[in-house]
Amino acid sequence: MTALLEATGIVKRFGGLVAVDDVDISVAPGEIVGLIGPNGSGKTTLFDCLSCVQRADSGAVRFDGEDITRRAPHQIARGGIARTFQIIRVYGALTVRENIELSASWAGLGLRRMLSRTDPQTRRRADQLIDFLALGPLRDERADTLSGGQRRLAEIGMALMSEPRLILLDEATSGVNPTLINEIKDRLVEVNASRGVALLLVEHNVQFIAELCERVVVLDQGRKLAEGAPADIMNNPEVIEAYFGAAAGDGEHGSSTAAPSTPQGPNP
Amino acid sequence: MTSTGGIKRWARRLIGALAAVGLAWLVVLPLWPGTSDSMLFTMTLMFTSIGVAINWNLTGGFTGYIDFGHAVWFGLGAYTTAIMMSLQSNGLGIGWPPVPAIALGVVVAGAAAALIGRATMRLKGPYFSVAMLATFVAMREIVRIWGGLTGGGVGLTLPPYLNRSLFYFVELALVVVLAVFVWWLRRTRVGTALVAIREDEVGAEMRGIATTRLKVATFSFAGASTGLFGGLWAFQNTFVDPDIAFTEVRTLDAIMGTMLGGIGTVAGPIVGSAVLYWLREVLWANLLDLHLIAQGVLLIVIVLFMPRGLVGWFDRRGVAVTDLWQRWSRAGRDVERSDTDNPAGDRP
Repeated sequence: MTALLEATGIVKRFGGLVAVDDVDISVAPGEIVGLIGPNGSGKTTLFDCLSCVQRADSGAVRFDGEDITRRAPHQIARGGIARTFQIIRVYGALTVRENIELSASWAGLGLRRMLSRTDPQTRRRADQLIDFLALGPLRDERADTLSGGQRRLAEIGMALMSEPRLILLDEATSGVNPTLINEIKDRLVEVNASRGVALLLVEHNVQFIAELCERVVVLDQGRKLAEGAPADIMNNPEVIEAYFGAAAGDGEHGSSTAAPSTPQGPNP
Repeated sequence: MTSTGGIKRWARRLIGALAAVGLAWLVVLPLWPGTSDSMLFTMTLMFTSIGVAINWNLTGGFTGYIDFGHAVWFGLGAYTTAIMMSLQSNGLGIGWPPVPAIALGVVVAGAAAALIGRATMRLKGPYFSVAMLATFVAMREIVRIWGGLTGGGVGLTLPPYLNRSLFYFVELALVVVLAVFVWWLRRTRVGTALVAIREDEVGAEMRGIATTRLKVATFSFAGASTGLFGGLWAFQNTFVDPDIAFTEVRTLDAIMGTMLGGIGTVAGPIVGSAVLYWLREVLWANLLDLHLIAQGVLLIVIVLFMPRGLVGWFDRRGVAVTDLWQRWSRAGRDVERSDTDNPAGDRP
C-alpha cells in the first residue's frame, strides 16, 4: 500500500541544536501511528515540519503522492491534513460554534461562499460535533471561557470539522479528564473506522497509544530510535533507557515526565 | 437564562430604535432652519473621524494589527485629490473635476496600502505598528520634499466649492454604507476568519485560512476607504499642506475612538468616535489648557474601568484593550506566531 503521508530525511536545526535529525516517517491511508519520545525529543518540531509551519532544512514531505514540502500551511490544511496543538489554539473571542464552523474546509470555496454566512448544512454538522464532544451547553459561549480540557475538545472538534484524511494530534489527551479521554478515543476510532481517516498521534499517555496505534515511532534527541508494534516498543530496552535515562532534567516543561508519569500510563 | 435573554433582546431593540431616531435626526438636520453652516462643517468632520475609525478597526480591531500610521492613507487620498484638482493653478495642465480626482485618490491609497501591507504585515505586534508609523512619517516627508508636484511645505489650494450640506450628506451616506458593510462582513465566513487571525494567526493559517491574503486585502480596503475620506476632506477644506493632511492626531483619534467605543465590535468605532468628538469639542471650549490632560485621564479610565469600551457592555464579541495590548506586546516574541510568514525562520 502506498503511503498517505511520507516524510523522508527530515532535518530541522535551530542554530546549533539539531531538533530533528534525518527522520523518516510514513502513515498509510487509514492507519493510526503513534509518535512518542521524551520531552525535547523533537516530536512537535517534526509535526511542525510535516504541517509546514516550520520549513525543514532538508528532507521532503509527500502527501497522497504530491510533494508538499514547500507549501503554505493553509494549503496543507486545504489538502486534507488537520492538526491539533500542544499549546491549545482556539479563537478565544469567538463562540464555540463559530470556532467549529469556521474550521469547515476552505478547499475549493469560491468568493461567494466565503462572503456568506454559514450554510445550514455546515451548521448542522457543527452542532452534531459540539453535542458529541459534550460541549452542547457551551456552544454560544466564548471559547476563552472554557476550561483547558474543554478547549482541547473544541480543538479536536475543529480538526474533525474539516473532514481531513489525516489528523496530526499533538497531545490530545493532556489536561483532559479520564472519562473524556475514553470518549475522545472512541471518537477517533470511529472516525478512523468509518471514514478511513489516518491518525498520527504525539502522546505521553502510553495506554492511549497502546490501545489505539498499530505502529509506534520513537524519537530521542531528534533521531528515530525505534519503530514497531506498541508491545514490542514498550519492551525495547533502548526505549526504556531513553525515557528513564534521558528524561530527567531534559524538559520542555521543566518536568522530568515522560510516559510513565501520566495518570493513565502504566509503568513499563 | 430566559429573563436575561429577554432583557438583552429588549435592550437590542431599544438601541436599534435609538439608532434609527438618531439617523433620522441626522438626515433632517441640514434642512432645519436653525442649523448653521459651521454646525454642518463640524458634523461632517465628525463623520470623517467616524469613517476613519471604522477603517482602523477593520485591521486593528478585527485582524489585531495595530496600525500606528493609518493617517497615511488619509493623507494620500487628500493629496492625490488636491494635486489632480489644482493642476491648472500649478501650471501643470487642466485641473480634474472632483469626482475622478477623489476616485484616483481612493485607487492610489488602496494600491499603496496593498503594496506596503504586503511588506509590513509580515511583521507582528509592535514591529508592525512601528513600521506603519515610519511609513506615515516617511510619506509626509516625501510630500514635503516633492515640491514640484505637492507644493512642498506651502501646500496646495483647491478650487473652492462651499456647499456644506452636500458634503454633509455625502459623508453621512458613506459612513452608513461603510457601517452596514462592516456589520455584514462580520457575519460572513471571511469576517469571522479576520477575528480568528487576531485570536490566533498560526492556528487560523493551519486550519486552511489564507491569512496573508485576507489580512492584506482587508488592509487595502481600509486604506482605500480612508483615502476616500481624505479626498473628500481635501475638497471640502479647499487647502492641504503636509502637516494637516498627514497628522498623527488622525490616527490617534481613530485608535482612541475605537477604544472608547469597543475594539473589534461593529458599533464601537462609530459610538466611540462620536462621543470622543463631542467630548473634545466641549473640552476644547471649556478647558483649553487642560484638554490634553483630560484626554489622558479618559484613556486611563477606559483601560482601567471599561477595557471593552461603551459598546462592550452590550456586545461581548469585541476584545478588551488590555487583552489586545498583551497579545500585541507578546506577538513579536512568539516563535510559532512569527513563523507562519517566515517558515524558514530559524529562531529557537
